[in-house]
Amino acid sequence: MSALLSVNDLRVRYPVRGGFVDVVHGVSLDIKRGETTAIVGESGSGKTTLAMALCGLAPVYGGEVRFEGELLQRDRKNRLNPDRKRVALMFQDPVGSLNPRMTVRKALAEPFRIHKVESADPDREALGLLDKVGLGEDFADRYPHQLSGGQARRVGVARALALRPHLLIADEPTAGLDVSVQGEVLNLLSQLQQEMGLGILVITHNLNIVRHVADRMAIMYLGRFIEQGDSQQIFSQPRHPYTAALLAANPSPDPDAQPGEIELKGDVPSLLQRPPGCEFHTRCPGVREKCRGLFPEVSIDGEHRQYHCFYPLDN
Amino acid sequence: MSKPRGLIAHTWSGLKKDPLGMAGFVLVSFILLLTILAPWLAPYDPLDVNVHNRLSGPSAAHWLGTDQLGRDILSRVLYGGQVALKVSLVAISVAMAIGLLLGMLAGLGPRWLDRVLVIGFDTVRSFPTIMFALAIVALTGPSLNTVIGVIIITSIPVYARVVRTQTRALRQRDFILAERAMGASTGRILRDHVLPNIAAPLFILASMDVPAVVGMEAGLSFLGLGVSPPTPSWGSILNDGYSYLRNSPWPIIAGGIPLIAVTLGFTFFGESLRDIFDPKLRGKDR
Amino acid sequence: MTAPVLDIRGLSISYGTEAGALKALRDVDLEVGEGSIIGIVGESGCGKSTLISAIIRLLAPNAQIVQGAVNFKGRDLLGLSSEQMRALRGDEISMVFQDPMTSLNPTLTIGRQMSDVQHRSTVSRSEKNACSVMMLERVGIPDPEAQLKRYPHHLSGGMRQRVAIAMALMAEPSLLIADEPTTALDATLEVQIIHRLKELQREFGCSILFISHHLGVIAELCEEVIVMYAGEVVESGPLREVFIDPKHPYTRKLLECDPARIAEPTRELPVIEGSLPNLVNLPDGCIFKDRCSKAEARCGIEPPKMSGDGHRAACHLLDHFQETSP
Repeated sequence: MSALLSVNDLRVRYPVRGGFVDVVHGVSLDIKRGETTAIVGESGSGKTTLAMALCGLAPVYGGEVRFEGELLQRDRKNRLNPDRKRVALMFQDPVGSLNPRMTVRKALAEPFRIHKVESADPDREALGLLDKVGLGEDFADRYPHQLSGGQARRVGVARALALRPHLLIADEPTAGLDVSVQGEVLNLLSQLQQEMGLGILVITHNLNIVRHVADRMAIMYLGRFIEQGDSQQIFSQPRHPYTAALLAANPSPDPDAQPGEIELKGDVPSLLQRPPGCEFHTRCPGVREKCRGLFPEVSIDGEHRQYHCFYPLDN
Repeated sequence: MSKPRGLIAHTWSGLKKDPLGMAGFVLVSFILLLTILAPWLAPYDPLDVNVHNRLSGPSAAHWLGTDQLGRDILSRVLYGGQVALKVSLVAISVAMAIGLLLGMLAGLGPRWLDRVLVIGFDTVRSFPTIMFALAIVALTGPSLNTVIGVIIITSIPVYARVVRTQTRALRQRDFILAERAMGASTGRILRDHVLPNIAAPLFILASMDVPAVVGMEAGLSFLGLGVSPPTPSWGSILNDGYSYLRNSPWPIIAGGIPLIAVTLGFTFFGESLRDIFDPKLRGKDR
Repeated sequence: MTAPVLDIRGLSISYGTEAGALKALRDVDLEVGEGSIIGIVGESGCGKSTLISAIIRLLAPNAQIVQGAVNFKGRDLLGLSSEQMRALRGDEISMVFQDPMTSLNPTLTIGRQMSDVQHRSTVSRSEKNACSVMMLERVGIPDPEAQLKRYPHHLSGGMRQRVAIAMALMAEPSLLIADEPTTALDATLEVQIIHRLKELQREFGCSILFISHHLGVIAELCEEVIVMYAGEVVESGPLREVFIDPKHPYTRKLLECDPARIAEPTRELPVIEGSLPNLVNLPDGCIFKDRCSKAEARCGIEPPKMSGDGHRAACHLLDHFQETSP
């Protein structure tokens, strides 16, 4: 099956005083229809910038992106120009991504009005969408500040899926939601994915949800994917020490669970001063001499399993 | 959970909770009504000269007395309100429209355009208004249009700066990015998303600007740089009365009270509007 | 067991709103023993923030203490003057907030802020600085002397939170209140901070009241846990007992919902149906009955009381649960 979205060596570079920083430093990935891919990383890893670049909201410095086989062109400001009807973006802040002066009904009618969808009556479509995401018609005339976090999130889902896109990019879809509510949103996304055959790219730092929703995952560190592959495989057998540390750093609510063995030292290095060699060597518990000087090129292990490490873990 | 209310209902219920704002609203409405109805309410022609009855105090025939030419002060004050109203309405709406345009250009346009415009705004702001007015009057002669022109030019930067700041802040907001991600055009974003979100602060600014403009008109007319005699204006009433302050205080009192009333009324009303629409105070009724 | 450091009895707090009194906290009991780490778990709207504000007496102006007592080392905090309370805050009781940037002044150096915290001590400036360096070392900040001259924005989020913890522990308080201190941090830093807090607690012997919505963090750090729902304490007890054998249906559901506890990957995650009750017009009976799958007739009539010894819960159906669970 061919890829829905195919990203090859994508780079995002921002100018800073006295130079530039590569926020996204050459990432490649494929997303298939009906599959969920998760990009996991800590703050500053570049995961949100990657999402923005794919949606044409951040300038691209290099690399190519194909959507359903077509090469995406760049506009005057070097931003990608995907078909907005087929690629939808869900923002991290559900209330903030709704215009405070627009009712839910108007917000949901926006996609139809923007693209002048002739066959549709925007207001009727809005009500249909509300129903689809499990909100009653009485929500139609509310303003964003009158919604709870979970409700605003549902409106966000409805708006993103209004034009039946083929790819949904969801930036932290459960940020700020209570545990008892985040399941609702994730279940809704899974259900709509099955109905519509949607490809989903989830950007998150929450490994607990990744384990349940993602078919494939990529772990991002300093703008690179340091490991990617099948998410069950990665969870059961991480190859890169950073992945292992991230998995171990996830405290379990089971009081009998053994606490994480690997504690990373220090902080994520600044993008302005990328460490030489393997960029993780400054924090790696298993660092050796070779790591300090040489950059580990990609290793391929089985089908689609990739990582950048000279001394991968083999549990 | 309360149902969302319309703009007017929201304003009204907010005013009801704020006695000072309500007082301002009543005062403003009262003055507007009197001014609009001046032709019907004024007992005399404001230009009717009657030198036999000059500088008289209040009487049954002349409620606020007469000025140095025996003209009825009440009628002049009522008609003077029309001048004040015309100047503030025309000057503020034109200044706001141009300020809106330039402000959005600066806020959304390329960096060089923003810089050029901001330098322009600051240059205009740095002129002392009166000196600027004097210069213009020296070129064109005193007239109502000169006053309006001076006020427009000096007010544009005030509006433009507010619009620019608001636009720049909005540009980074998620809901604007979300519109762009959905493929909305820049025009659509400006019209449907930026404009409605800066309109409220802009109108509040305008309502608080009215007294300043009325005061400026009065000041310029007082200095003889504004409306030319015999047209009545609150400023020219004060100017006329000033010379005869020892003989009769009535022109000064009659010309001053509406100025104070307008200032207080619009200030209270504007401040109340600001509180009602402050997003931080909104949403309490969640 | 020695006398508790913090002892809250029957605390009820309401907020005056347009719609009427919003009963944000109702009859809350809480005990923090000397040298213990107590976790408070609850979702948004459970009253965690109101509870903390009440302890440090920084309640919103429209809040009203309806009844109850907050005893700190035998003194009733609610009866203290604001002068006395101020003397207590930052000395006997310290706080660490979710976002360290809000508690650090962006315009002052770390060193200046750390010596400002020692304003009650009369030692010289250089001695204060030495004290600051020692504290920074203890919270695990590399090269502490150099850090003193830096400003908060020079530091990363994790470093800032360490500085905030160092400042909070400076006065060797008896009680440290930590309000979601790791929520804004990345997972790898979260673990570092929790381990560090645990060590520091042992060294300083202070008590910690740790508020978090992250069940995993609570499990890692706390000995005892209090579960709050819609302004009430619904369950409390030793962490192991509560997390392994929850007695209140809300606690059970909350634990079930945590995706970290679900071993097999699933696309259908459990949720708690329904929404929080209206706290202005409280429902009769049990506060959780509308969302409880096991609610009976009496749950709608009479509010359940906390019962049990050590591990306590407020549920009418406790007897059933005890029969069914081994």
